[in-house]
Amino acid sequence: MPGAIILEFPLNFLGFVPGGAIPLGAAAKGMVMTLQLSLLGFGGALALGTVIALVRVSPLPPLRWIGTAYVELFRNTPLLVQLFFLFFGPVRFSSDTFENIFRAAAVGMALYHGAYVAEVVRGGLIGIEKGQIEAARSLGLSYVQTLRYIQLPQTFRATVPPLGNIGIALVKNTSLASTIGVAELLQGAELVESRTFRAEEAFGAAVIIYLILTIPASLGVNWLERRLLIAR
Amino acid sequence: MTDLLEALRAPICGIVGVRCDTWYLFVDPNIVRFFGEGLLATLELAVVSVILSFVVGLLFALGRVSRRAWIRWPAIAYIELIRALPVLLLIVYFGIKGTALFRPILEPILGEDFELSGFWAGVLGLSLYTSAVLAEIIRAGIISLPKGQTEAAAALGLSYVQQMRHVILPQALRLMVPAMMGQLTTVIKDTSLVATIGMFELVRQGRVIYTQFFNPIEVFVVTGAIYFVICFALSQGSRRLEVQAPTEAKVLLEEIQLRDQVA
Repeated sequence: MPGAIILEFPLNFLGFVPGGAIPLGAAAKGMVMTLQLSLLGFGGALALGTVIALVRVSPLPPLRWIGTAYVELFRNTPLLVQLFFLFFGPVRFSSDTFENIFRAAAVGMALYHGAYVAEVVRGGLIGIEKGQIEAARSLGLSYVQTLRYIQLPQTFRATVPPLGNIGIALVKNTSLASTIGVAELLQGAELVESRTFRAEEAFGAAVIIYLILTIPASLGVNWLERRLLIAR
Repeated sequence: MTDLLEALRAPICGIVGVRCDTWYLFVDPNIVRFFGEGLLATLELAVVSVILSFVVGLLFALGRVSRRAWIRWPAIAYIELIRALPVLLLIVYFGIKGTALFRPILEPILGEDFELSGFWAGVLGLSLYTSAVLAEIIRAGIISLPKGQTEAAAALGLSYVQQMRHVILPQALRLMVPAMMGQLTTVIKDTSLVATIGMFELVRQGRVIYTQFFNPIEVFVVTGAIYFVICFALSQGSRRLEVQAPTEAKVLLEEIQLRDQVA
């Protein structure tokens, strides 16, 4: 009876499988871990990306080259390889405790997505016409006022939807941390599947949680995109 | 001189855990051939997935711009649901359940000991995701054409299918070549995920080498460099071809570039 399966599966996933012992709340723990990794990674990516963007628009050519090299290097290699690199480098040669692996995963997320954030922020910074800044200054606004009332609102408005898109991608990409041993959502699903052989329920629950995490964000970003489209 | 180098090398290699003595491996013809096999498998996986996804994606793009709601809504649901999920989840799922899912259909054809290989499980996972992204890219191409195109085609007496076949799609697809090349770059990067379900592509071949020689860092430097050369060339190429699209299509393309091509 198909209805029975649908009714059963959230319960199964939370550990109430008849005749099977599952660590209770593997899904809940996995979801918390996914969220933690996403928030840490995204915060890191925003900070790092802003710095790289500033480096990339700097007047010093060598600095610009470093910024460009960083962006191209991290965008054109797989995230999996970067995570493995961090895992076999820094983690293995300090100690592979769980905290270290988690930190390495967060750093990996920040490094990889930082390269994409840098491109978006750079686009926002160079997107404002020079004439606007000159006009503001000639109206008597100070440098800080120009930044506060003219440049930042426009950069902010223009970069929020693309940064949101990167954030959505980041939430999905945290699943790669399962490959180096972070017990996030996907690994929770794999664990439940390996104990119960009930792939549909385990992965179905993971799918639902990923949808809960990403769909509202996508709708929000799409709404902002549409509003900006009207404003243009 | 050699002694000095040796003296310098030993502590450096000790500290960062780099096994300098294994670099020679990567010019050894056997190891090069081994990596070559992995690279070939990676490219094969990417190309097969992209071709399959293009066909499926084209259908879903047409579905999504259809005027009939019962065609449009399932297409929207497919595209948006798949885009909201991690590719790795799809790949792992097909890696675990692929054989059981396809046994009823393929057992009569392929015999008792049918087993879905890592390659095909990977193709399934990658194609499912890539088809949704390509559908959006193709839709961006369709909506970036001016309305006059459809109207002129209709005025000439072309049916809906004829309009699509002879007027809209040829232009839309040509317009979207750079975006599709960008997606190919993403797929090549994503093939590395298929290593997790046991397919012997570039990353997995590397793993075979470092489990034997204990030099993971060197192996990942080399693997990363191989990916970089391919993806950098492709992404530079697609940037050179970049075309101007109207605002609405551009917003959609930007969204795809950041939400789906960051993987």
